[in-house]
Amino acid sequence: MEKDGFFNNPQAWNSIFGMELEMGSQVSEMNCSSEQLQNCFLNQNWNNSMDQTDPFESALSSIVSSPVNSHPGIPIPAGENVALKELIGRLGSICDSGDNNSTNTSCYNTPLNSPPKLNLSIMDQIPGNLSIPRNHQLPPAPFPADPGFVERAARFSCFGMNESEFPNMVESGKLSRVSSKQSFKTAEFRNQIPVPGSDKKFSRELDSSMEESSVSEQITNGETGIKAQNSNSNGRKRKAIPKGKGKETQSSKVMEPEKEESDAKRSKSGEEGNENQNQKQTKENAKLAEPPKDYIHVRARRGQATDSHSLAERVRREKISERMKFLQDLVPGCNKVTGKAVMLDEIINYVQSLQRQVEFLSMKLSTINPRTDMNMEALLSKDVSFSQSFFTFDPSLNFQPFYGLVHDRPQNPLTSMMQRGLNMKSSQADGFGEASAFWENDLQSVVQMGFGQNQGPIFHGELTFLTSRKSINI
Amino acid sequence: MSPSQQPTSLNNPAYLKNQFAHRFIRALNNLHHTKTPPHHNYKMYNRSTRVKIAANTAMASVVGSRRAWSRAVLWKIRKLRSRKRVNCHHQEKVSLKRRNPKPKTEDFNNPFGDSSQESKLRELVPGGETLDAVCLMGETANYIKCLVAQVEVMKTLVDLYNPT
Repeated sequence: MEKDGFFNNPQAWNSIFGMELEMGSQVSEMNCSSEQLQNCFLNQNWNNSMDQTDPFESALSSIVSSPVNSHPGIPIPAGENVALKELIGRLGSICDSGDNNSTNTSCYNTPLNSPPKLNLSIMDQIPGNLSIPRNHQLPPAPFPADPGFVERAARFSCFGMNESEFPNMVESGKLSRVSSKQSFKTAEFRNQIPVPGSDKKFSRELDSSMEESSVSEQITNGETGIKAQNSNSNGRKRKAIPKGKGKETQSSKVMEPEKEESDAKRSKSGEEGNENQNQKQTKENAKLAEPPKDYIHVRARRGQATDSHSLAERVRREKISERMKFLQDLVPGCNKVTGKAVMLDEIINYVQSLQRQVEFLSMKLSTINPRTDMNMEALLSKDVSFSQSFFTFDPSLNFQPFYGLVHDRPQNPLTSMMQRGLNMKSSQADGFGEASAFWENDLQSVVQMGFGQNQGPIFHGELTFLTSRKSINI
Repeated sequence: MSPSQQPTSLNNPAYLKNQFAHRFIRALNNLHHTKTPPHHNYKMYNRSTRVKIAANTAMASVVGSRRAWSRAVLWKIRKLRSRKRVNCHHQEKVSLKRRNPKPKTEDFNNPFGDSSQESKLRELVPGGETLDAVCLMGETANYIKCLVAQVEVMKTLVDLYNPT
């Protein structure tokens, strides 16, 4: 069922949502198409936001769900209208001040320093009716028609920021924005829904649409206002996803994009958020013209070079160091080693020694002359489980000093287990117990037991592959 | 490198060993069945070389095409076999596509402090020539894991057959 599918697939939701927005759908369109996914949106976003405690996602969910709820076909309680605008305004204000230091606008007195509470409050409320216990009161208005709603949403969200910080915004005139066309409103509405970190593709699409609209629009002040929303404002190569995000969140965000699969190459050309310097608006507009599809969005950390090359290089280096840590666990005796060069030497030596061991062992195995005239099928039907238990008894097969082929422990409870496996139940616990019991036995005695089972001592590998088949068979 | 620990998952070393042992023993049986007299001078007709190739191939086939190194090993084997059969017919040179071209800007920090180390690693890991640094590390990790499993199984086998 479609709903169930989307229930279980947040990515589907994100992509759908992104697609819808990118297609320039107005709010009404969103309502129509997403109506069937209403429950999915509501539930999923809350789960996501609960998991990630991301204020933006929850706010976004509220934004999405509230238009969905407010479809004309659905009877709307009066309280929802207020809630809608509150949510939108709250969203704008949240995005504006990610680091919780800006005061609210006059219209919206949402406590910005508690986005998590916002999560919970939204989550609590939306399943029921949208009655949000808020201090501030929005001017209760009848729920506007969809275009009007879009306009107001656009306006409010766009201007839901600290007026003192961004006087440009105030000067640019809300009215001027209001007077623009419907497409602009929708575009701006699109623009003003930040989805930071939730879905990269969606955000990129947002960025592209945002940039197109910003380029196409005539209000330069508004543009500077939008761009000024970021801390330190100024031009960037690519617009940040959440405009109001502080730098403090950057380093954390860097890690997330790095975990994506894209290459560093792509990240180099597609990175964004170099907010520190460069008032190059023209450069920004020029770069915005080509919105690439999948990029790692990397932010420049505080006090570090914002060169695209260096950023990409840093991403690459961090990936490599991450892999190096993993390798450090694999290679024995490398925990104390610090430094890449020494570590690499160790890794190279280890791989070489392993390959040499394989060669040596294969040489040994090649000298074996097996006799394969015995009936293998009968032995194949023997216990499989105890062989599995043998191999699952991993702790015994620990790392040895591989650099020499040192057989310093008595090998092989295998043959003993072969004998016992016939009697044993195929419970792994027993297998382990037996294995551990026999692990320290003398190899000779063990092997003789095994040999005895197979009709007398068989020398030098004539024991054949039968026993191995029997014991190692899957 | 996923955290799943299901018994049939590739990350489980026991599963690796089981699968590898199965295939390796089958290959060894085949080897010993087909006793070709070493009339050729080629190095690869040595018994030990063949056993080694069988071991590597068995391990690579367990991993399948999920990893670049296993793909490279299997591809080499296939090429070897076809060359054996065709026997001096001209083989088309298949150009190895680089997964990522090496960065042209070398003035930035090479994450490998010493580039010779990187080249050594590329030689060691099969298929490493076409990988970029990041993927190379990942492949090395997986390769080491599989090598360890392979060595352990082979040790067990040797101890089985050579009890002395």
